[in-house]
Amino acid sequence: MNYTFDFSVLLGNFGPLFEGLQTTLLLALGANVLGLTFGFVVCLMAMASLWFLRLPAKLFIEFFRCTPVLIQVVWFFYCVPILFNVFFDPITMGILALGLNLIAFNAEAYRAGIQAVPKEHHDACVALGLGPWNKTVHVIFPQALRNAIPVLMTNGITILQQSALVAIVAVADLMYAGKMLATDTYRPLEVFTAVAVIYFLMSLPISQVVTFLERRQDASVER
Amino acid sequence: MNMSFEFLRVFSYWDVLLNGLGITLLFTIGAAIVGTLLGFVISLMRVAPSRFIKWPARLYVEFFRGTPMLIQLFWIFFCLPLILGQDIPPYVSVMLSMVLFMAAITSETFRGSLKSISGEQHDACVALGLNFRVKAINVIFPQALLRSIPPLMSNVVSLFKESALISSVGIADLMFVSSNISSSTGRPVEFLTAAAVIYFVVAFPATRLVDLIEKRFLIRFA
Amino acid sequence: MNTEENINEQKAENAIKHQGFLGSKPLVEFKGVTKRFGDTCVMDEMDLQMREDDRLVIIGPSGSGKSTLLRVLMGLEPIDKGEIHFDSKPYVSVDSKGRTQTDLATRSKVGMVFQHYTLFPHLSVLGNMTLSPVKVHGMGRSEAEDRAREYLGRLGMEDKLNSYPGKLSGGQKQRVAIARALMLEPKLMLFDEVTSALDPEMVAEIEKVMLDLAKQKMAMMIVTHDMYFAKKIATESVFIAGGKVVEKCDPEIMFNEPKEERTKDFLNKVLHLK
Repeated sequence: MNYTFDFSVLLGNFGPLFEGLQTTLLLALGANVLGLTFGFVVCLMAMASLWFLRLPAKLFIEFFRCTPVLIQVVWFFYCVPILFNVFFDPITMGILALGLNLIAFNAEAYRAGIQAVPKEHHDACVALGLGPWNKTVHVIFPQALRNAIPVLMTNGITILQQSALVAIVAVADLMYAGKMLATDTYRPLEVFTAVAVIYFLMSLPISQVVTFLERRQDASVER
Repeated sequence: MNMSFEFLRVFSYWDVLLNGLGITLLFTIGAAIVGTLLGFVISLMRVAPSRFIKWPARLYVEFFRGTPMLIQLFWIFFCLPLILGQDIPPYVSVMLSMVLFMAAITSETFRGSLKSISGEQHDACVALGLNFRVKAINVIFPQALLRSIPPLMSNVVSLFKESALISSVGIADLMFVSSNISSSTGRPVEFLTAAAVIYFVVAFPATRLVDLIEKRFLIRFA
Repeated sequence: MNTEENINEQKAENAIKHQGFLGSKPLVEFKGVTKRFGDTCVMDEMDLQMREDDRLVIIGPSGSGKSTLLRVLMGLEPIDKGEIHFDSKPYVSVDSKGRTQTDLATRSKVGMVFQHYTLFPHLSVLGNMTLSPVKVHGMGRSEAEDRAREYLGRLGMEDKLNSYPGKLSGGQKQRVAIARALMLEPKLMLFDEVTSALDPEMVAEIEKVMLDLAKQKMAMMIVTHDMYFAKKIATESVFIAGGKVVEKCDPEIMFNEPKEERTKDFLNKVLHLK
């Protein structure tokens, strides 16, 4: 190996990277707000007994789970303006595209959480004379949410990573800033390594929390 | 809405799109096979007693699961040739990055199923006087492998979806072909939708199959 | 001769042995065994003896370490102090660094059946039974399969030879688990609450299997919550509490006129005599 590293390019160009980082965080945060709220709504729709609520929700979930995020993002950026004649700024478009994807994945996480509540608890609610409302709000949802939290957090980190895809449609996020900087400075090794490490450092603390939560839940289930 | 769509035009580009799908499947299947084997080795490294084996494996998995696949792909595509001091053909670097991605998520799958085998099974092995080799080969691994099948198939579906990224470094997969046609014809709605539907038609039955195997088949053996 | 008579006759025989009229070697000897889980001491310098062809029933309040006693004897749990002899030879001991040493050759003479069957779900009944004899003890495959067929036949399960555990009822699973342990021809069988996870109508079938084993003079150590079964099968009974042996005597005495207050209290509670 005869490559000489020159990490000084990073020091002089931290500005663009930092701006890109802010955009990435904004994208991830916005997508998570959409995903956590509307994901729950879509989950309820997908579990509804009325077919005209259930069917569209299920179709939505399956479609977003079974196609690449890249094509979702590209489709959203190119086709939505043509189809609906609406134009948003790139960051809003990015949040919406990523948010739709996260809504589908989080709806599944909520559903799995609800289904993991033991059947006996439904029976117990009947035996205790709890009506559907009390059963849902006080018994099922609290447990379902606790079951779903690790998966919701994992999905949250995943969307942070998937947000790098918006660079392909020229949204100026961290990935895009890195790509530009690598081309301008002819120093892809240093720049891409730095960008990778920044993404990693953002994900690491959350994934550690997830590991901790899962371990605690395993322990509480065992005995 | 005052525009017209010509979805029929998709059919005149049908074989080009199918060629793209062929490339996508070729890379996915190749990387799935190699990545699964590598992932199995990594999962064994992660339960090894020595920390000199355990820690590099852990760092590798955490890093590949904690960074976007796009940056992994770019790093291997643009940076690895600089470090090695020689050119790497694009299909090799793309394949390498898909294999490393698959191995990272698959090693977690194997580790999870190794861990999921209850303590009572280990007790039974002691009570029957099984030595380490027999316990590992005849009791623990077969069960872990059986339990890994559904998540492993899910991993392959994930890999299939993530493979769309290789279009960004110029590999002529389904994503690349469809976005090329949509810009040359100026018809993104038709061709991007068609590509999305093709991805869906492959991935959706695969996910159903995973569910089926989990519910019908594995309940008997694991 | 029916099982009950045979067992009662054996009991009389053992009672004579225990009074010293006939020589009978000790099979298991716990000598000052201490076992801690963190701060709780589940075995506190425990001494306990069991003779050859005895069937020792262990009773005691929950958390008194009954299962731990069996697990220690199976070599599943390390101990903190003391030693265990098996067949008058050292079996489990603690070395100078505090590590538990278990003699593996001796361990293979002990078999164990667990509460939750612990059959290997990916192997057929035959696979479960022949795994250890063939892979570890060098028995020929056809010999092992013949023996498995014979044991299953005795338990009335020859038609389940190629079934997988997932298809069996709880009682059938537990019978296979017993047969699997017997394949190695152990000198001592440990039964850890083997009927606790079963439906009531299946309990009787497992208890019958155990009584049949008793008829063949198999040495057993049994942890159970079923006091009537305990009284029926045991030649010797021990009550443990607080990590110590509180009382050890003939089951007739234990269940009818125990000497110790704690034994009385416990039996009154579980037998609803008060």
